Amino acid sequence: MKKRYIFSFLVAGATLMASCSKNFEEINTQPDKTNGNLINPNFFMSQVQMTFSQTGYDQLLFQSMWTQSLASTFSYYSNGDKYVYGGGGTGYFNRTWNRGYSALTLVDEMKTLIKDKPEYANLDACGTILRAMFIQRITDLYGDVPYSQEGQAKNGIFEPVFDSQKDIYTAILTQLEQATAALDASKGTPTSDLFYGGNIVQWKRLGYSLMLKAAMRLTKVDAATARTYAEKAFIGGTMASIADNAKVMTDAAGNTSSNSDALLVPDDFREVRWGKTLIDFMQSSNDPRISAIAEITAANGRRANENRTLAGNNTAALQVGMPNGYTTSTIATATGYPGATPAADAEDAAAPLGKYSRPRLSVYPDRISANFIYSYGESELLLAEAASRGWATGVAATHYANALAADMATLSQYNTTGAATVSPAAIATYVAAHPLIATTALQQINMEYYVVTSTTFNFNETFANWRRSGFPVLTPVTFQGQFITGQVPRRMPYPTTLLQTNGPNYSAAVQRQGTDNFATRVYWDKQ
Amino acid sequence: MEDFKHAMGLRDRYRFSKSGSIIKLSLILSLAVGIQSVAIAYPHNNATINKNKLANKAAITGKVVDETGVGLPGVSIKVKGTANGTVSDSKGVFAINAPDDAVLVFSFLGYESKEVAVAGKTSISVSLAPESKGLTEVVVTALGITKDQKKLGYSVSTVNGEQLNKAKESNVALSLQGRVAGLSVGGSNGGPGSSARVLLRGLTSFTASSPLYVINGVPMDNTQRGQSGEWGGADYGDGISNINPDDIESMTVLKGQSASALYGSRAVNGVILITTKSGKKNSPIGVEFNTNFQFDKAVDNTDYQQIYGQGIQGVKPNSLDAARNSGSLAWGSKMDGSDVIQIDGQTHKYSPVSNYIDFYRVAPSYTNTASFTGGNETGAFRLSASNLRANSMVPNSYLDRKTFNFNGSQQVTPKLNVNIVANYVIEDSKNRSGLSDGPGNPNNVQFLAPNQDQATLAPGVDPSGKELTFTDDSYVTNPYFAANNFISNVNRTRLISALSAKYDLTKWLYLQGRLGYDDSNDKRLNIEPTGTGYRNDNGAMNTSQTHINEFNADVLINGKHSLVEDLLSVDLTIGGNIRKSELTGTFINGQNGFIIPYFYSLTNFRSRDSGPQIDPAQKKQVNSAYYSADFSLKDYLVLSTTGRYDYYSTISKSVGPGIFSPSVSGSFIFSELKKMEGVDLGKVRLSFAQTSADALSYANTVYYSLNNSINGFPAAGFSSQLPNLFLKPFTLKELEAGLEMKFWGDRLGFDVTYFSRKTNNEIINGNLDWSTGYTNRYIGTGSTQNRGLEVEIHGTPVRTSDFSWTPSFNFTYVKNKILQTDGITNNNIGFGTFRPAASSGIAVTSLVVGLSGPQILATDYKRDASGNVVFDASGLPQRGDLKAMGSAIPKFYGGFNNSFNYKQINLGFLVDYRFGNKVLSGTENGSIFRGLNKLTLKGREGGVVGSGVTESGAANTVNVPAQTYYQALSRNVGAVSVLDGSFIKLRQVTLGYTFNSTFLKGTPFSSIGVAAVARNLWTIMKHTDNIDPESGFSADPRYAGIEGASLPFARTYGLNVNFKLKN
Repeated sequence: MKKRYIFSFLVAGATLMASCSKNFEEINTQPDKTNGNLINPNFFMSQVQMTFSQTGYDQLLFQSMWTQSLASTFSYYSNGDKYVYGGGGTGYFNRTWNRGYSALTLVDEMKTLIKDKPEYANLDACGTILRAMFIQRITDLYGDVPYSQEGQAKNGIFEPVFDSQKDIYTAILTQLEQATAALDASKGTPTSDLFYGGNIVQWKRLGYSLMLKAAMRLTKVDAATARTYAEKAFIGGTMASIADNAKVMTDAAGNTSSNSDALLVPDDFREVRWGKTLIDFMQSSNDPRISAIAEITAANGRRANENRTLAGNNTAALQVGMPNGYTTSTIATATGYPGATPAADAEDAAAPLGKYSRPRLSVYPDRISANFIYSYGESELLLAEAASRGWATGVAATHYANALAADMATLSQYNTTGAATVSPAAIATYVAAHPLIATTALQQINMEYYVVTSTTFNFNETFANWRRSGFPVLTPVTFQGQFITGQVPRRMPYPTTLLQTNGPNYSAAVQRQGTDNFATRVYWDKQ
Repeated sequence: MEDFKHAMGLRDRYRFSKSGSIIKLSLILSLAVGIQSVAIAYPHNNATINKNKLANKAAITGKVVDETGVGLPGVSIKVKGTANGTVSDSKGVFAINAPDDAVLVFSFLGYESKEVAVAGKTSISVSLAPESKGLTEVVVTALGITKDQKKLGYSVSTVNGEQLNKAKESNVALSLQGRVAGLSVGGSNGGPGSSARVLLRGLTSFTASSPLYVINGVPMDNTQRGQSGEWGGADYGDGISNINPDDIESMTVLKGQSASALYGSRAVNGVILITTKSGKKNSPIGVEFNTNFQFDKAVDNTDYQQIYGQGIQGVKPNSLDAARNSGSLAWGSKMDGSDVIQIDGQTHKYSPVSNYIDFYRVAPSYTNTASFTGGNETGAFRLSASNLRANSMVPNSYLDRKTFNFNGSQQVTPKLNVNIVANYVIEDSKNRSGLSDGPGNPNNVQFLAPNQDQATLAPGVDPSGKELTFTDDSYVTNPYFAANNFISNVNRTRLISALSAKYDLTKWLYLQGRLGYDDSNDKRLNIEPTGTGYRNDNGAMNTSQTHINEFNADVLINGKHSLVEDLLSVDLTIGGNIRKSELTGTFINGQNGFIIPYFYSLTNFRSRDSGPQIDPAQKKQVNSAYYSADFSLKDYLVLSTTGRYDYYSTISKSVGPGIFSPSVSGSFIFSELKKMEGVDLGKVRLSFAQTSADALSYANTVYYSLNNSINGFPAAGFSSQLPNLFLKPFTLKELEAGLEMKFWGDRLGFDVTYFSRKTNNEIINGNLDWSTGYTNRYIGTGSTQNRGLEVEIHGTPVRTSDFSWTPSFNFTYVKNKILQTDGITNNNIGFGTFRPAASSGIAVTSLVVGLSGPQILATDYKRDASGNVVFDASGLPQRGDLKAMGSAIPKFYGGFNNSFNYKQINLGFLVDYRFGNKVLSGTENGSIFRGLNKLTLKGREGGVVGSGVTESGAANTVNVPAQTYYQALSRNVGAVSVLDGSFIKLRQVTLGYTFNSTFLKGTPFSSIGVAAVARNLWTIMKHTDNIDPESGFSADPRYAGIEGASLPFARTYGLNVNFKLKN
């Protein structure tokens, strides 16, 4: 009896021990994730394109209203509309930074995984082009930022140095040159490419168009370099049609558009309107895009303004842009205030903004829509400007006309429904009526750049080009408690967390570049 | 002949025990448990009393003296087995009539009872010896090994279940507050069943968390199931919150590392051993029924201004739209009683009402527990069934918990004993309240402008079913809509079971095997309903199922033998343990809104998103071997040593196979060596131990995850957490010294403990800037130090036969210091924050080298070199440097517990206190921003000219409207939201009366205890004007001391009735 018990104990114990200690490595393997041997590096490309394209509040909170493309009376948007902190205030400084670097990190990882694998040569070159695209957005907004030591935590670099914007631009231009040269349509192509479905010819055009854009950023500070690379890009071959537009179509299953998600919050679509500066300009030129992008609420009262299913009235003549710098309570005092729409019934409230134009509900707050990154029209406008400056990039007027037609046609790509389509006849009429005139060429080109980047919700670009070109001419907003007074912001301050995470390099960058505020100009934004 | 027989009762009992095993009996009873009334109806057998035979009585006189020969007054003298009795007079003299063959029982509180046979004597003198509690007390220590308390070389404290189960907390851990030196308890104001923050000896490490709970010798899972952060969320409770207080016999707190070292790398936060109630051998069937009814009443702690009403920039609302945009802004004009339009579209008087507290209901809760105990000569059992229904003060929210507990032991053979414990829990919680600053949180009702009647927010929807929002931010959910329309439910089923067998090999050697299994399944449902203000579709639905289990197998062999007869003996234990734990789960979310409004089903979506819950997935195994050896030199010197080796699946082979946790402790009982007058026990202790923390799963490899595909293209990514191949858990070294003394039969005793503990190589999840490619990285460089003093004083200063007073006092001082973070730049490690600072960083809690953690850092005013406040060109205060404001965890804390007994009346109360901690108050910040705070009254008329200078150094003369000024103040100057969190509170009062058997003669009851109970009755001292200093939205130590938009502080009143049925 006794022996039997002891025996049972020991057997039970031994069985448990033996069965349990051999498979430790298996136990410590994440069941729902995989490793570098199994993952397909192509899958990072689609993710990174989506990540980078999802700008949402990043630019809606600041750039969209600094450039007066949009306006809002909502306190959350006071950062952009009034230069007054709203919502998380300084905490939003990091939005473009974090998104940009998280996208860069994914590309870096992809490039590491395919290193020394010739079958992925095209994917690698596309990765380089994407890196140039990403770092340009970051440096354009903040100035000096980490690039040469970016994304190297795995190699033990936890506090990367900040490179000067000048050096970053040099790197962007040379890397784009190398990458476009390395693209070879006869080799294996990317399999998970949201831009072009792996079409290497189109990637090449994107590479040269990016080179053109980077070059043209330098017009104020280093015209010679700008000219060299603009001409190189032209010879290499930039985007040729709106089929080459770099954009990402969002997906209702988990990757919906962050622009539309932001605008779909009832607070936001009730109180975000097109800006007066933009709509006034478009009205002045009888731009047929007005009816494609703008509408006023079709019914009266606040409830109607919060109803996303109620289509608006997009009659061009009724469209009015809202001036920046007002709250819901003060908007009635604005010059040219069109009046509130009255309450629909006793339960309803009046809608003070009801007669200002909002981004059309069927276009912008569409969860499956295009996130535009760079369009053929923008590329043509840059060529037009280069040519106007006398550089060898073709005929300015032709590029300008191409751009006008392309910019209007591009809107049809916004939604699968084609809700923002402008009729070919209207496009033709408008293009014919607006030839490029040499004496006003820079203004015409850059005002169109303003319209196309605003109407495709690419406000990062609107903001950068305004600083470079000076168009449109903006009157700064005045308001109580502003973080910058007397001028429109020209830069985004660095993320406030950098003091903790990369203090010495942050301080060195501030030392070099100037006070870390909204007024300091980045390298290419020479006064 | 004396003849008090319980013949029938005895026969019945034996019939039961002979007819089947204890297990069978329990099965029969468990059927009855379903209907609680059966418990009452259980047939009892009245004792047969032969009243005719009370003959041959004689008068007996005598004297009772104490151990020094002095007469003891008030000693109870009873004839055994009867109600006949008397008490001794002031000199200890007594007289009683008793039969010749009777036995007299002498009892007196604090003295050991004595039985003396009359045996024909007429004069009996008795000397009573003091009850020497401390000398014989046996305590449960690590691994369930019982030891003689006086021999321990480290500090342990035991709390009896009785102290926890009268005035109940739905999470029993919260009842420990103020009871044990060294133990600090906090929680979240999240409603019934919320988590507890239990910290032993300070913030042990950067990742300090609750101690390991061990229930009947088997470790229990205490996973926190989700809680609020600065972005909101609900508290879904922790593992300990499932335990029914009525089943707890005692909780033993192993504070020091020497005490807990036998649990190896899980011991780092200390260990709390829970012993559940059990049956006793050779006892008749006992039936007990306990019912408890309590209600929580919300307390309005705010002291807001009552002069200015709703509005913006000095103007009261002039339209419905304006009213709906400013429901929680008190920047209007002076309240003048005029008519003003409000949120409900009606006109109301512009006069103060300030009745937000009426939104909360008086929340009743009840607990009914029935238990059955019994035992024969070979076995014993206890079975209990309990039902708790705890309503939340937030309407439409409650916790419903049913627990079934079985404890049975059986002596299978004279040498083999088998024990089985099973605790089955079915818990349903409805609408766990949202907390902090997130959508769906009803507690934003606390920020209504003073003229806003909270009732105007009801029913929370307009006629079209759309949420009626009351601010310009639709994420601030209407409280009625949040409470009545949002759904946040959790169902949990859990089985905690333990099976053990003990075999006595010889008289001094036994072998023991234990299997423990703790398995819980959570089903969670969250619905953002149709009509939600910030949603542009018909609402959303998320469901998830989580499965957590922990399995432990443990084998040990124990021998006690003397090495040298009467001089040196040894008590040796050697054993091994295997632990497997796993956490898995899946989720299904509906996408793009319900198709049909108000139909809340997963079928009502065009598409669904589903997958594994990757983030919590964990799996690990630990194989361990351990020993414990105690060497005793006579009765006065004990030297103990333990060691445990843990071999972890989660530690990479390249950094070594495992972790060793040793401890050495010694105790010297000097009172045994040399007897001292009045000293019952005198002991010094010294111990040292090194333990380490648990190791993380999957933290040392790069993993790639597949993301949602995009228009058919697969997409992949990876974690922003940089892995570290060389991860190894940190170590904690602790030195502890103590002095314990007891005097005069335990009339007075104290226990003083000093400890010093330090961690090394703590793993830091350090922040990285995104530009490095990662946002966080693990590095093993941290170090935390805690030094402190624990004092427990207890005694019985007054003791007569009818009355006694038993006070006990405990005091803890802990000095925490963060010694090192990453060791290079020693940057702060961010912990938590509140929403206003979530992105601006004006106030955070952090670990700061050289200071105690978690330290509250908040921005001061911007100041110039001479300390003047600098205002910007607009005359607004600006953000200055982040300054250390103090620790969020108290430096001094403790409690003063008192128990008074007068005959059958018992009065107990507990006062607890806490000093030296700060609170980061979201309420304070929000009330300044919204113009509710009294601070905002200055400058309402005519504006504010800040006292200070401009950037150029000239005096500031810019006049700013009050709203603009104070909103800038709350946005820029975090320091205004940091408050002193010290308090003294009357925590618990119980007043009870026990009806004894004499009174209950002729009833089925042997005793009935009735107690009026109350918790949180009176805040004796606090320094916060608008909040309760204990407020918080999370029990996570990283969020300790941060509060805002959680349930208000509650007072609890109730009644506890306990019935014991006659056998």
